[in-house]
Amino acid sequence: MDLSPRPADPAPALGGGRPQSLWSDAWRRLRRNRAAAAAAMILITISLVSIAAPWLPRLADPTTQNLALGATPPTAAHWFGTDELGRDTLARVIHGGRISLLVGLIATIVSLIIGVSYGAISGYAGGKLDEFLMRVVDILYSLPYIFLVILLLVFFSRSLIMLFVALGLVQWLTMARIVRGQVLSIKHQNFVEAARALGAGDRAIIFRHIVPNTLGPVIVYTTLTVPAVILQEAFLSFLGLGVQPPNASWGTLVSDGARVLALFPWLVIFPGIALSLTLLCFNFLGDGLRDALDPQDRSDVA
Amino acid sequence: MDTVNFVTRRLLMMIPTLWVIATLTFFMMRLAPGGPFLAERDIPVAAKEQLMRKYGLDLPLGRQYLRFLGNTVRFDFGPSYKFPQRQVSEIIREAFPVSAELGAWALLLAILLGVPIGVIAALRQNTPVDYASMAAALIGVSVPNFVLGPVLVLGFSLTVFLFPPALWQGWQSRVLPVLTLSAAYIAYIARLTRAGMLEVLRQDFIRTAMAKGLPDRMVVFKHALKLGILPVVSFLGPAAARIVTGSIVIETIFAIPGLGRHLVNGAFNRDYTLVLGVVLFYAVFLMVLNLVVDVAYTRLDPRVELK
Amino acid sequence: MTRHLFRALLPLAFLAGACAPAPPGGARLAATSEQYFGDVTPPHDNTFTYNNGTEPETFDPGLAVGQPDGRVARTIFEGLTVPDPQTLEPRPGQAYRWEMSADGLSYVFHLRPGLVWSNGSPLSARDFQWSWLRVLRPATAARYASLLYAIENAEAYNKGTLADSNRVGVHAVDDSTLVVRLHAPTAYFLFLTQFYTYLPVPRWVVERYGDRWTRPEHIVSNGPFLLDFWRQQNRFEFVKNPRYWNAGAVRLDRIVAYSVEELNTSTNLYKAGVFDWNPSGYIPSQFIPYLRHYKDYRHGDYQGVYFYSINVTRKPFEDVWVRRALTYAVDREAIANDLLKGSREPWGNFTPTGYPGYDHPPGITYDPEKARECLRRAGYPDGSGFPRISILFNTSEDHRRIAEAIQAMWRDVLHIDVELSNQEWGSYLQATTALQYDVARRSWIGDYLDPNTFLGCLISGDGNNRTGWSNPRYDALLRQASVEVRPEKRMALLREAEALLLDESPIIPIYHYSTNELVKPYVRGLYRTALDTHPLTGVWIDRDWRRHEAPLAGTATERP
Repeated sequence: MDLSPRPADPAPALGGGRPQSLWSDAWRRLRRNRAAAAAAMILITISLVSIAAPWLPRLADPTTQNLALGATPPTAAHWFGTDELGRDTLARVIHGGRISLLVGLIATIVSLIIGVSYGAISGYAGGKLDEFLMRVVDILYSLPYIFLVILLLVFFSRSLIMLFVALGLVQWLTMARIVRGQVLSIKHQNFVEAARALGAGDRAIIFRHIVPNTLGPVIVYTTLTVPAVILQEAFLSFLGLGVQPPNASWGTLVSDGARVLALFPWLVIFPGIALSLTLLCFNFLGDGLRDALDPQDRSDVA
Repeated sequence: MDTVNFVTRRLLMMIPTLWVIATLTFFMMRLAPGGPFLAERDIPVAAKEQLMRKYGLDLPLGRQYLRFLGNTVRFDFGPSYKFPQRQVSEIIREAFPVSAELGAWALLLAILLGVPIGVIAALRQNTPVDYASMAAALIGVSVPNFVLGPVLVLGFSLTVFLFPPALWQGWQSRVLPVLTLSAAYIAYIARLTRAGMLEVLRQDFIRTAMAKGLPDRMVVFKHALKLGILPVVSFLGPAAARIVTGSIVIETIFAIPGLGRHLVNGAFNRDYTLVLGVVLFYAVFLMVLNLVVDVAYTRLDPRVELK
Repeated sequence: MTRHLFRALLPLAFLAGACAPAPPGGARLAATSEQYFGDVTPPHDNTFTYNNGTEPETFDPGLAVGQPDGRVARTIFEGLTVPDPQTLEPRPGQAYRWEMSADGLSYVFHLRPGLVWSNGSPLSARDFQWSWLRVLRPATAARYASLLYAIENAEAYNKGTLADSNRVGVHAVDDSTLVVRLHAPTAYFLFLTQFYTYLPVPRWVVERYGDRWTRPEHIVSNGPFLLDFWRQQNRFEFVKNPRYWNAGAVRLDRIVAYSVEELNTSTNLYKAGVFDWNPSGYIPSQFIPYLRHYKDYRHGDYQGVYFYSINVTRKPFEDVWVRRALTYAVDREAIANDLLKGSREPWGNFTPTGYPGYDHPPGITYDPEKARECLRRAGYPDGSGFPRISILFNTSEDHRRIAEAIQAMWRDVLHIDVELSNQEWGSYLQATTALQYDVARRSWIGDYLDPNTFLGCLISGDGNNRTGWSNPRYDALLRQASVEVRPEKRMALLREAEALLLDESPIIPIYHYSTNELVKPYVRGLYRTALDTHPLTGVWIDRDWRRHEAPLAGTATERP
């Protein structure tokens, strides 16, 4: 994918055609990609439902237990059935979405903040500092990272904060590399030199020229990081290190449900569909964004 | 000569890396609450002191660290704390081939299935074949392997007794674990291949070759494929790393005596020596693998040179 | 594109249909026989395969602690006595005869003539003496050394206050006679002699190879089977020991014991016919209601109690009324019968059932009114002002579900705020040992058939106490009982101690363990026992089992 940057404020195209900035171009292409658009709609719906969960009328309390009832298959009273403690699975799945999306989002933001700053500094500074910082990244890249995450979670408490930080730490390396790569190629472009010649300071250069041009791949990668993080949290739940009760993420629900698959399949099917659907949508959206931001895609040229 | 220099430099770079990893892991393990000699059933204080002395755990942390470094350089990780009859190096020697075999089969299957799917999808871009295979691929990466595993077991092992539900004996027992582990990678590699192939197919020289009138197929296979699978090749390094961690789940569900389980249980049991040994071993393994992948990459893509 | 998305999702729907829930009874799972769970083809040779469970830390009998460790140890070593496969009574093992003195303080064991180790060297009483002293030696750091404390001076020697091992009450008078002196009459001493810690080990091998003496290439043993192969986290393989004194009675040629931890996997392997026996503790509790009607499912009492321990060194638990409130607010019946689907028995005592001659004091029952009253007495009417407390447990679905249930119960009955703390095993042990918790999930399994194996844990300062609770009267009662010769008086003292314990509530009993195991119909000689002990010496494969299809001993549930 060619992500050659464009100046933020280009001159009008020759020949009198309508000026097309990178962003409106991309937006147009994205809208035309029906899969990505559908994915975005689904994600928005899921997010809204999850956020609104505590206030949804007629939604059962996900923590109310009914031990005598136990696990029951889907019925009119419980659309998604109940789990072994008699809790309503529909409520658990919807509340689980809140947790999963929250974990995904915050961990991604953590990795974003660390990765972008690190990559930007490294790329912009160049020279010895850049080499050193990238060396560190190379070293960290070869670490069996998930092991350190496990050790981290074992060492520190199992709080939600710790989980965010630990998961974010696994993802920032690639982000840093991408950002650095972008920054490097932008740094020496003519328009940056021009801006500098006109007397713009470093900060202005970074914020007005460099950052907007790195946004493309960063956005794409962010969209693809969220599902990776959610899956990783599911993996940690499988080991018992993920979100702790009474909170339950989709990962918890799915890994618990998988254990009783033969007996109560609805306990894994419904959270599983929710999880997989969300991940699918993020991936579709990410793909769509990547295609939209790729100026070499010829399919829309008349 | 370039290659030799490159390889040597990378190998030398591994040493400080390993040192960092060892130190990090050492201190994290030590600082975690609990110790290797706690148990549900108590042992008398005198006995506990004996054990601590025996393993040098009564020494100040700094000295323990130095001792540890000294031993590591000699590849002596000592006995496992939890299983004192076994040396850590023994455990690794026994368990690693199992994990490696599992991972190798999974990767092989992923390449054998993923690459052709990706190529076909690229050749038939924007047709139903393309959409269907990419959708299937996406599903592959969206279903966690600890769901897929039990589903496969339920279907092919318990409902119809085709394959054993667990363990690692005989070729039949390898089928389900390998399938489960490779599912996500088949999907990923298919997507990568497709993306890579599309990229290549758009290139000028490919269009030139097609314009020259050589039969389509030849064009694809000779020029495009070599370049199109480049993303896959560079993915192999991180893929190996991820397969290593993914195998923990597979090893647990299918009761396979691999190294991943040892590591997780070791962390839970505060088995310091075992954890350190396994982490360092994996680090070396991954670094060597990345090195091999990088060299292979340059062989395939003449545009890239070894830095 | 959405069309294709839908098409791609179709397989999922198919899966959903294929996994449609069935009526209780599990009839949908294709079994080769409706009466038995899974494949019932016997092995074609005399090999018995089962799941030994978690990988043993060590199967050195002197150091073995857990059940998996002990099972391996007992397969390849044999002690003075062996348990009867059905009743667990001590039967002659390496000793064919013994006498006890009238005052109950000394025993004389006579070893069979001609006993040899597996390499041919003769086995003598000196081996027993050396092995027991080795366990007691502080340098060995044996966790179960306390089981030998019945012997005179054993405790002092083990704790390091006595240096001369000759003063410990075990002596080999000659090659085939072992004399043991106890510090007080111990009714269950003979039971102890078949426990792992009392098994003999070959001195010259241990001294030569140290920690590595148990490896298959070095090990020498005296039991019915020999260790042939061992792969960590995978399996053990045993072959018949031709030099075993009773080799004629051993009908198996080979035993393969796998080390599978996951309950689901283990049960699946049993169903697929790979395992002939799936021992207790390796069936997920949710499956049990669906297994009840199968003939190869066995169920009965097990000498274990699941309870919550309260850290009395922390506020507000130092107040007995708070503890009482907590314990009366737990609905044990709901947990055992509803949550655990009747696979366990609700239990309000600390000692389990099955102790001959022991009459339990009345147990704790669920009484929400009383619980609220106790909380009021403690100064937190209706939970107001009560601090937030946490329940600690180690990672396991069952523990978590029970904790979640109790969290809800305390919230609903007492209106107090409870959080859960799920730690993995290492941290959990640390927290409980160092008293860094509020309320923690615990279990205790009996080692021998006497209430003392439970009540002894809560003596002040005992390493297994882990609650910080200390009551001089309780200690005094137990001390008195340990020197009391008359059995009825002794049992009465223990009963009084337990009643005191239940009243003071440093522990909250929840359920009584039971054994839930699956045994293939062609396996004979394997019986359900209260201590979940299964000597494998007499097990054999009956290829003709269909003709002999009679109810196996121990298949009926043993509750009235």
